[in-house]
Amino acid sequence: MLYDLRRADVRIKWLVTGLLATLGLSYLFGAAMVALYAGFTPQSVAATYAGAEMSMPMPPETTVVVQRPMSMADFAGPEVHTVDTKLLIQDTHVHVPMYGLIAAALGVVVAGLSLPRGRALCLIALLFAAPWLDFAGMWLTKLASPRFAIVTLAGGWAMGVAYLIVAALAVHRMWLSHERG
Amino acid sequence: MNLLIRAAAIAALLHITPVVVLVKRPDAVQALLPGADAYVAREVHLSGTDAHRLHEAVDWSPEDGVLVFYGGTAGSASVGALEFVRVDTPHGPIEVAVGFTPQGAVRGVVVTKATVEMKPWVLEAVAAGLTDHYRGLKPGGAAPAGAAGIASRAGNLALYVAGEVDKGVARALAAYGAFYNHVRA
Repeated sequence: MLYDLRRADVRIKWLVTGLLATLGLSYLFGAAMVALYAGFTPQSVAATYAGAEMSMPMPPETTVVVQRPMSMADFAGPEVHTVDTKLLIQDTHVHVPMYGLIAAALGVVVAGLSLPRGRALCLIALLFAAPWLDFAGMWLTKLASPRFAIVTLAGGWAMGVAYLIVAALAVHRMWLSHERG
Repeated sequence: MNLLIRAAAIAALLHITPVVVLVKRPDAVQALLPGADAYVAREVHLSGTDAHRLHEAVDWSPEDGVLVFYGGTAGSASVGALEFVRVDTPHGPIEVAVGFTPQGAVRGVVVTKATVEMKPWVLEAVAAGLTDHYRGLKPGGAAPAGAAGIASRAGNLALYVAGEVDKGVARALAAYGAFYNHVRA
């Protein structure tokens, strides 16, 4: 193996540690942002991405007016953060490249862990599959059924789990394991 | 590696920051429908034809094809109506509340939401007197020109966001003019 983080120069180990720490921090705040704007339950994710579009997908033949009384408390009620199709296009456009770069950076770290080839390939596949699942879930929730919110949750958790596996293995490999012989 | 770092920097710059509430909706309602003690939500579900007409007029379709106007009354007298309009920008969405007098003129405009990134631009534009430039506008009348009105008193980013607020006010005027009183409940 030409590239092994355990045998790497301490500067490379320090760089990788800094990268992992920074990504860890961004993941923590990412989780906080999800908690604020979409939630961690299938229902809240479905409410964010499916929105009212699921209940009224076709415009009426003639314009219809529905009137209902409101109280000031209704204005103050908790607002569900919703992401409509235009915003989801924009979100996908800006998030997916960044997720790809993060997966690539973590994949480079995986390549230096000297894992058996199969495990390394699986881990790299997980790094890239997680954001795909995340956004596939959002789009399917919007276009097909709110039930697909679970796919978004699975993608989000998979991103977190994949990061933790890579970070734990890398820290162990670089700083805690000693070369035998 | 250099390419990777540049791409990461570009992606980070493009990343949309979360939306924050600048003015709570109840506060915007009280400011734009002063003295009202009862409110009604008037949801106008646009037909395909009407939605197309609105889109042609202001290059905009309301979320889910539904316009929502909030009317306020004090006793039996109308105080006016207001709309919350969202404007999507490359930096994320902003929300503008536009209030109308019973005579159909703009009473006031409040920017209620923006992204974290745009918040300082909005605050600068509002401090430069942006929202003063919309008062009295009527549907079918002069186009909103808040950005031009503060051009000598605000920076480029504040002027940019003022242009987006102009769009929101133009949309509210077009929607109010075409659909508030002209469709029976």
